[in-house]
Amino acid sequence: MAQPLGKKDDDQEDEEYSPFLGIEKGAVLQEARVFNDPQLDARRCSQVITKLLYLLNQGENFTKVEATEVFFSVTKLFQSKDTVLRRMVYLIIKELSPSADEVIIVTSSLMKDMNSKTDMYRANAIRVLCRIIDGTLLTQIERYLKQAIVDKNPVVASAALVSGIHLLQTNPEIVKRWSNEVQEAIQSRAALVQFHALALLHQIRQNDRLAVSKLVASLTKGSVRSPLAQCLLIRYTSQVIRDSSTNIQTGERPLSDYLETCLRHKTDMVTIEAARAITEFSGVTSRELNPAITALQLFLSSSKPVVRFAAVRTLNKVAMTHPLAVTNCNIDMESLISDQNRSIATLAITTLLKTGNESSIDRLMKQISNFMSDIADEFKIVVVEAIRSLCLKFPLKHRSLMNFLSNILREEGGFEYKKAIIDSIVTLIRDIPEAKETGLFHLCEFIEDCEFTYLSTQVLHFLGNEGPKSSEPSKYIRYIYNRVILENATVRAAAVSTLAKFGSMVESLKPRIFVLLRRCLFDSDDEVRDRATLYLNTLEWNGSGGETDKGVKEFLFGALDVPLVNLEASLQNYESSEEPFDISTVTKEVKSQSLTEKKVPGKKPPTLGLSANGPTSPFRAYENLLSSIPEFNNFGQLFKSSAPIELTDAETEYAVNVVKHIYNGHVVFQYNCTNTVPELLLENVTVMVDNFDVEEFEEVASKSLKALPYDSPAQIFVAFKKSDGLLATGKFSNTLNFIYKEVDTTTGEAEEEGIEDQYELEDLEVVPADYMLGVSLLNFKNSWESMGPDFERIDEYGLGVRESLAVAVSAVIDILGMKPCEGTEVVPNNARSHTCLLSGVFLGDVKVLVRLSFGIDGPKQVAMKLAVRSEDAAISDKIHEIVANS
Amino acid sequence: MGMWDSFLNWLRSLFFKQEMELSLIGLQNAGKTSFVNAISTGGYSEDMIPTVGFNMRKVTKGNVTIKLWDLGGQQRFRTMWERYCRGVSAIICVVDAADRDSIPIARSELHELLIKPSLTGIPLLVLGNKIDKSEAISKQAVVEQMGLEHIKDREVFCYMISCKDSINIDVVMDWLIKHSRRAPPSS
Repeated sequence: MAQPLGKKDDDQEDEEYSPFLGIEKGAVLQEARVFNDPQLDARRCSQVITKLLYLLNQGENFTKVEATEVFFSVTKLFQSKDTVLRRMVYLIIKELSPSADEVIIVTSSLMKDMNSKTDMYRANAIRVLCRIIDGTLLTQIERYLKQAIVDKNPVVASAALVSGIHLLQTNPEIVKRWSNEVQEAIQSRAALVQFHALALLHQIRQNDRLAVSKLVASLTKGSVRSPLAQCLLIRYTSQVIRDSSTNIQTGERPLSDYLETCLRHKTDMVTIEAARAITEFSGVTSRELNPAITALQLFLSSSKPVVRFAAVRTLNKVAMTHPLAVTNCNIDMESLISDQNRSIATLAITTLLKTGNESSIDRLMKQISNFMSDIADEFKIVVVEAIRSLCLKFPLKHRSLMNFLSNILREEGGFEYKKAIIDSIVTLIRDIPEAKETGLFHLCEFIEDCEFTYLSTQVLHFLGNEGPKSSEPSKYIRYIYNRVILENATVRAAAVSTLAKFGSMVESLKPRIFVLLRRCLFDSDDEVRDRATLYLNTLEWNGSGGETDKGVKEFLFGALDVPLVNLEASLQNYESSEEPFDISTVTKEVKSQSLTEKKVPGKKPPTLGLSANGPTSPFRAYENLLSSIPEFNNFGQLFKSSAPIELTDAETEYAVNVVKHIYNGHVVFQYNCTNTVPELLLENVTVMVDNFDVEEFEEVASKSLKALPYDSPAQIFVAFKKSDGLLATGKFSNTLNFIYKEVDTTTGEAEEEGIEDQYELEDLEVVPADYMLGVSLLNFKNSWESMGPDFERIDEYGLGVRESLAVAVSAVIDILGMKPCEGTEVVPNNARSHTCLLSGVFLGDVKVLVRLSFGIDGPKQVAMKLAVRSEDAAISDKIHEIVANS
Repeated sequence: MGMWDSFLNWLRSLFFKQEMELSLIGLQNAGKTSFVNAISTGGYSEDMIPTVGFNMRKVTKGNVTIKLWDLGGQQRFRTMWERYCRGVSAIICVVDAADRDSIPIARSELHELLIKPSLTGIPLLVLGNKIDKSEAISKQAVVEQMGLEHIKDREVFCYMISCKDSINIDVVMDWLIKHSRRAPPSS
């Protein structure tokens, strides 16, 4: 087995012999009996523990009984004085502690080791102890941990600091008392101690923005020497910069000097971290960017692959937003195309594709074609996506790029890769009219020999939409009809639909399509025959009378305007009901990630209290929850639920957030309350809502809580009736009223006597956006045109001085509560004007589309033109009213 | 001479090395850890923290090495006593002779432990501790109230000691060393 190390390579690695190959849990558990021998063989015991650790790390499952049995026999090993064995004992206890019972039994032994003279014992005992300890015992050993943090042995200090980081999750109050010691540890000479101390101190203060910025400000003055700690500090610095940049007008960033000095640090890691932090500034200027880019450029020719990779990856990201800044590196980048490491090569290529100018494209494409054959599919996908965006940037080059895409389409490749190519070609056809004919032709050729049903059907669908509008529709028919002859049933059915689309759009082809469709009537598959029959009938009708023409087109080309997930849910409800199904009752809200709450580390998120409903959407969960409350049954269909809004600061005794539920005539506030004090039990909890200045709201019902024990979130509801036909808005003040009783945490029993108290919550506002449901649209233009100008209202507004266009755009989106379409919410840097498209559904299921045109002039005065189309003139006016009033 | 003696002792210990393993049980605050300290270092401290789990100690007296499993006496650890009593040379039960109310509990815990089949035949040594206190009961009373005469399946001994004033510690030590000569019972 002895091989010179240098000779090892991938092939030989497989043959390497693992000493643990084929060991079995049962046998090892048997072997573990040696732990109980009266005369211990330390060497043997260490070996057995190694095997156990190996099994645990391979994901072998130990039952509770097995784990407990092993654990207790391991505890017997504390009698041995062998340091190697003791170290293994620590390790195995740490691994077993989650699955074994009664691990608390080793506490005393570990406490002894924690004060031992052997540094290794101290450090490891601390790490293990923190895994198994609970809050009450922690207070007993707190003193020792504090000592350990400032221990002169760096291993011990690091162990204590890391344990502090873990314990902060479970016992934050205790760990917070260690600040002084941690602060002292930051000054340590040992690199790792400094690193861990900084991490812990930041975590202790992370909820206090001011404290974090003070910490960063004082440390950037130069006391941090360890490179790891400096990397952390750079991250915290950029976080502080991010948080503070919103209220700084001058453009000068605080602390950016520090990052710039880090660029000249002698450690690569720190330099790269600093460069990356600078490139990630929001609205970074080229003056800020240049030093960072220069530093990264030097790394491109480094001898270490890791450094090259880090540099090229950062530059790749920068190239997405500031391609010009990266062009200086192009020469170094081109030499990386032949880098041995394919990840580096791929990143280099895609960066070049982003920064390249029109003239360099052809040369690049040649280089890439050689390179494509020897990279893996996932890299190829990255390249394909880069080429797509390049083509959108230089539409004139579509010919060579499209050629490239069709060439690689012909080569071998997996599904994801082919899909990426098809998606790219489809995008190019949509956006570059000149590329359409060639693109469609490439697609036709592709489906002639395509092994993926999904892609074939997708291409056929696309051909059906675009083919009839091309200059010579008839030439596609042959390809499509070939599918009917050659392919499986799914593809045949798709081909039939495509043929029908040609038939309905191109009058001249209709007779020939009829012939082809009639042949399909004899297909072996039901679906294919059914489709053929359906289309034949609709097309024949179409021929006889012009009136139904529009109906047929809508039937063939119209898309469902409801999200499929919602439709599916409604259909599932429908299966059990008696009433006929009505598609208009399906909600149109698209489930988005933003509705799911952010998790507070270490705390259960104060969610709905419907844990069983895991995978369902929040909206659906709210609907179920509300319909289970009899008082709200006559309110009708729930229109919209807002995202939870926090009414208390983080880390207060009672955490309360509110969700606004909007009905046609009612509003329901759902207060999610969590009691975060283990020593308190709240009873008779109510929320007193004062609608002091709003006459349109009248409180009709409320649902209070009998009891609110520690850490089990519960809900309080208050319902209001709105005066009819009004867009009622206003502010509400909330007060939490309750009786609190002290709880003995050891027995869990509450005192008899309670004390009445109240707790001021933050105000809550019902805004116009609450009555608007954002609905995403794929094709805004089509919807805009089909809505027609009947109820169009256009007006212009001055928005006053704004920081940038992006700020103005997101402000207006927030006011209206509508969903931006086609990515128009993103404003390019330094743009002077921008158009943003919004879509939504207003209370009462009225579709609303908005086109916003923004312009900005020298002194940052922003003007906006607002065009609204909707299905109701009153609503169109209302939208203007909303914007005018805010 | 002294050197010669110690050399002889060392030689003897090489040839007659004895080892024994003991488990200490008893309610919390009975004085188990104090007893271990008394026989190992002879020291005594008023201010002891409760043992959370167990402490493992090795004590060498003459040519006998004694392994001591000093177990925690709190309620939550009592179920785990049995695991550390299997296969030991003797079980030592420390009783606070001055705390009359606790003795019935100590008695039931002890008897519950001794009915475990894995522990049959292991000799039992009951130590009535804290006889320096005036309210401490007599040895007779300990034997009676602990129900020691009902234990028939093993050897049972009882001594009255004081860890604080080091009373009878040497007697117990002698007993232990004497018992170490016997082969530990097969488990």
